[in-house]
Parts: sequence; C-alpha cells; structure tokens
Amino acid sequence: MIGNIMTAEVLTVIHQKPIKTPIIGITGGKGGVGKSTVAINIAESLVQMGHKVSLVDADVDAPDDHILLNMSLQNPMDVTITTPLINDEKCSKCRKCVDVCRMNALFQPRDSVPTLIGECNGCEACILVCPDDAIERGEKAVGKTYMNETENLTLFTGELIPGSEESSFVVNALKARVYNEANDPDIIIIDTSPGTHCNVINALKGSDEAYAVTEPTPLGIHDLDLILKLLKAFQIRSNVILNRSDLPGVKEQMDSVIKEYGTRISAEIPMDDLLLKSYVEGIPVVRMYPESESSKRILRISEEIAGKYIK
Amino acid sequence: MKEIVILSGKGGVGKSSIAASLGVILADHFKIILADTDVDAPNLALFFNAVNKRSHDVSTCEKSFIDYDKCTGCQECVDACKFSSMVSINNMPIVIPYSCEGCGACTIVCPEDAIEIKKVVNGRINIADINNTMIVSGELDIGESSSGLIVDEVKKISKKEAERIGADLIITDGPPGIGCPVISSIKGSDYVVAVTEPTPAALNDLKRLIEVVEYFKIPLGIVINKSDIHQQSRTAIKEFSEEHKLIVLSEITYDINVPKAIAKSKPVVTAYPDASSSLALIELADKMTDIIEKTE
Repeated sequence: MIGNIMTAEVLTVIHQKPIKTPIIGITGGKGGVGKSTVAINIAESLVQMGHKVSLVDADVDAPDDHILLNMSLQNPMDVTITTPLINDEKCSKCRKCVDVCRMNALFQPRDSVPTLIGECNGCEACILVCPDDAIERGEKAVGKTYMNETENLTLFTGELIPGSEESSFVVNALKARVYNEANDPDIIIIDTSPGTHCNVINALKGSDEAYAVTEPTPLGIHDLDLILKLLKAFQIRSNVILNRSDLPGVKEQMDSVIKEYGTRISAEIPMDDLLLKSYVEGIPVVRMYPESESSKRILRISEEIAGKYIK
Repeated sequence: MKEIVILSGKGGVGKSSIAASLGVILADHFKIILADTDVDAPNLALFFNAVNKRSHDVSTCEKSFIDYDKCTGCQECVDACKFSSMVSINNMPIVIPYSCEGCGACTIVCPEDAIEIKKVVNGRINIADINNTMIVSGELDIGESSSGLIVDEVKKISKKEAERIGADLIITDGPPGIGCPVISSIKGSDYVVAVTEPTPAALNDLKRLIEVVEYFKIPLGIVINKSDIHQQSRTAIKEFSEEHKLIVLSEITYDINVPKAIAKSKPVVTAYPDASSSLALIELADKMTDIIEKTE
C-alpha cells in the first residue's frame, strides 16, 4: 500500500509548492456529500470578510463550482498531452516503439509503419526508444482549464474532455495555472473529486490542512474512513465536516472513526431547505440566506480558517 | 447474459441505493450478480451487511524501482518522466510512487540499467453472498492509480462467476465522474441507467456522462431521483431528454425512507416495501425487465 512507502523525503517533495499562500483542501471520500457546497460557501464567507480568495475546482470529471456560483467559464486554456507522429520515411519498422508501449496503443501491421490505435497516455517512451528519430511530438487535447476573475474571488476550474482518460494531466495543469496566475490571494481553497485515488492526492498535495465532508450514514462513515486514511498517509492535518448531520444515521460509529484518526468534527451542518434553495439558484447560501443555520455553521469554519491562516 | 450499469456523473445522487433495490426486485425474474465498480468508495455491499466470502489482491499497475547500487545520479530519468514521478533529492532520483504510471520511459534513458518496472498490488476483489445473490466489489488501495484496470478485473470476475452459476443478469453499480473507471464500466455493457437529480449541477454532470456513453454507442435511460426537490431543474432535465431523444425511465420523489433504510444497511424495498420510493423502484424494475428481455 502507498501509505507504507511514503518516506519523509517523498512527502517533502510531494508537498513542495512555489508559493507561500496557505492552501486548504475540501475533500471527502464519498460523492454528493456537499464538498462543492462547502467549498464555495467557505470561499464566499472569506471574501465577505474582506479576504482575497482563489477557489480551485479540481473535480475535473464533474466540475460544478461555477454552476453553484452561477458563472460561465472564462479564459480557457487547452491541456494537451504528447502523442506520437510517426514519420513514414524515417521509420525502419523495427517495432521497438510497439514493444515499449505499456498502454498497447501502437499497432504495427505487417511490413508497415506503426500507427496509434489505442489510448495514449503521453509518456513519450516510444520517442525515447526509436533508433531512427522517426517519431515527432503530436498533440492531443485531454482537457481545459479556466479562470474566472471577480473582485476578490478568482475561480480556477479544470475540465476533462468527455471520453478522455487522462485526468491527472488536467489536475496537474490546473494546479500549475493556479501557481502561475493566482494574483497574490490570501488563501487558496481546493475542492477535490470524490474518492481516494491519485488525482485526489494531486489536488490535495501542498495543502496545509484539509476538511473531509461526510454524512452520518453507514456509506458516509465507510468512505470517511478511507479519506482519513489517505490524509494520514500524506500527513495532511484533517478535520471533519458532518453535513446533513440530522439524517437518520449511526453517529456513534462515526465517533469511533474520528477517534481512531485523532481528528475532530469541526462543524455539523443540519439539513436545511434554504441551503437547497440557494444551491439550485447558483448563489452561495451565506450570501442568499446569511441568517440560515447552515450559513452560521459555515461562517464559523471560515472564521476558524481565517484566524489560523490569514494574517 | 446481460449487463446493466448504473452511472450518474455527479456523486451522491442515489446510484447505489437504486442498484441495491433493483438487485432485490429483479432477483424475482433473473439470476443476478451485483457488481460494484466504484473502486474508490465501494458501498453496494453495505446495503446488505454482506460479509466477504472470498477476497484476493490484484496487481493492475506497475511502477519504477531504482537500484541505488547501480544508480550514478545522472538525472536522465528525472528529465524523461512526463508524470513528475521521478524527482531529484540530493542529486539522486527517487520515485514518487502514487503518480508513477510504470510507463518505462525512465528505464529506456537510464545508461546504467538501474531501473526496473515491477507489478505492485494496488487493490483487491471482494466477493460476498447475500440470499443467493453474489456481490463482486473492487477496491482500490488508497492513493493508487489504475482504477480502470481494477474495474476491468471486477467485470471479468463477475462474468466468470455469472457463467459458473448460470446467472443471466449483472447489475453494475458504477463510479461517479466520467474518467477512466467510468469508461471501463461502460465498455461491454448492454444498457446504462443514468441517475440524476433535479439540480443544475447534476444536470451539468449528466450531460457530460451522456457524451461518454453515446461515444461508446450503448443505449441509455434516465432516472430522475428526488424528482420533486426543484421543479425548474426537473423541467430542464425533461426538456434536455426530449431534445436528445432520451428516455426518462422513472421519476422517484424524495422519500425520507431512503436514508432511513440506508441507516439500517438495507435497500429501501426491503426495509420499507410500501414506501413511495419502493413503489417507484418496482415500476422501474418492470421497465428494466422489458428492456433486458428485448436487448439482443
């Protein structure tokens, strides 16, 4: 398991970042528990307090933060990978590129030059192995990144092109764009995809702290256990936000998971019709219904974050 | 043997709840295997309090390993890696294991032949039995890659088990999103049930999912779960369906009995057979029976 082979050196490298801005990750193993809702509302609360915030939607499969903020995506940039372009005249048909490709993406018909038939992951092993210098670098778009700038909130969004499988390039390109183009924000909030796979780590790496959103159901507890395990392995300080905290559930079991990982519930957000109303309108609940119970709870988390990370 | 796969784009809209209930209802008509390809968060078995009967490790991914007795610290491998998985510390390369794709580019450039690509265990397959229905789940180790290949393994084992026990239907509870585990879940299946809910975010994700499903030319039907939580978004989904000539198979209104059933680790049709959602699911199962029987 990954967790066992993470040495201190590896962890240091993973968490290296080119800027000093504090980064807070919003994650949660299970889908649909409210990660994006929490992320956009924390971002909005921090803006209301007068801070400059960059919000990063790294759920590149299903990026929804812009919808919850009623924004249409702006400033697109393509994310591309290198694919092989084989020069028929230079190719000696030696098959080395076909044999080296672990994706089995190259096929060589008899007495002919190889052609790309499968999903290429852009590793360039074929280019490196070719003795004839016959493979040139082609480009394939796998996704896009966007940047929406408003006065104190900048939203960065990554989007995988439907049908493409190379999510990690999109997440990494998105993070690179944030590091390059974020205009000196006070804080960066990163909203991850569900799950505990490598792209959740790509999104979370460099975070000073992470909030795992969950709900008090057996499914929520099962997936919380996984995400807390991940955060522990990568030594990112964890907090838990219990959303829909009054759902019929099994809170006692949750308490034992939280104890096991030495974390804490930093807020409970009860079910709230006003939250749903603001959600479908594309307005953060903290702006639309600041007096609602969910707004008060989210504001408290935001104050906690600001107090700790923003001077 | 037929396979239907339940997907959604957006997470948390009710894929597993619907898969669990369909599994129970359709067991009257078919001999079923339930498969869970949400390898990041495999939750289907939790609806049945199912205990694992068999479990085995899978190695669907490969990673680079450096032999430091041979390595001279020349950095060629660091420059060759397109996945930022080979980094230099104190002038020696180290492998960042979670992002290494095992592509082998580093082994080609290494002048000392000091790097080897080896298979590593990245997950497991769990098989459980509940009242004569088998559940095959895939589980990805935390932080690992190659989830699509674990999905392939779940599908392979489900088919093999189905042949062995003479099952005629596999119901697959898929992952959220549209990435590689979703694509692996779609490939080779006969029908996709796309679950959504009436919110702008869920519709956005549904549209992205449908693009992927149409690319693979697999027939698809939509289920609108919690259909009464926002009238305007419900209309938007129906208009979108009409425009793209997609069938809405069922609308299931919000029902507090669903979370109550989840809290009891039971499908709603088992825990509350007379609940409004159970009745809607029974109707959906009838339609699915027709569709499955008509599928070539």
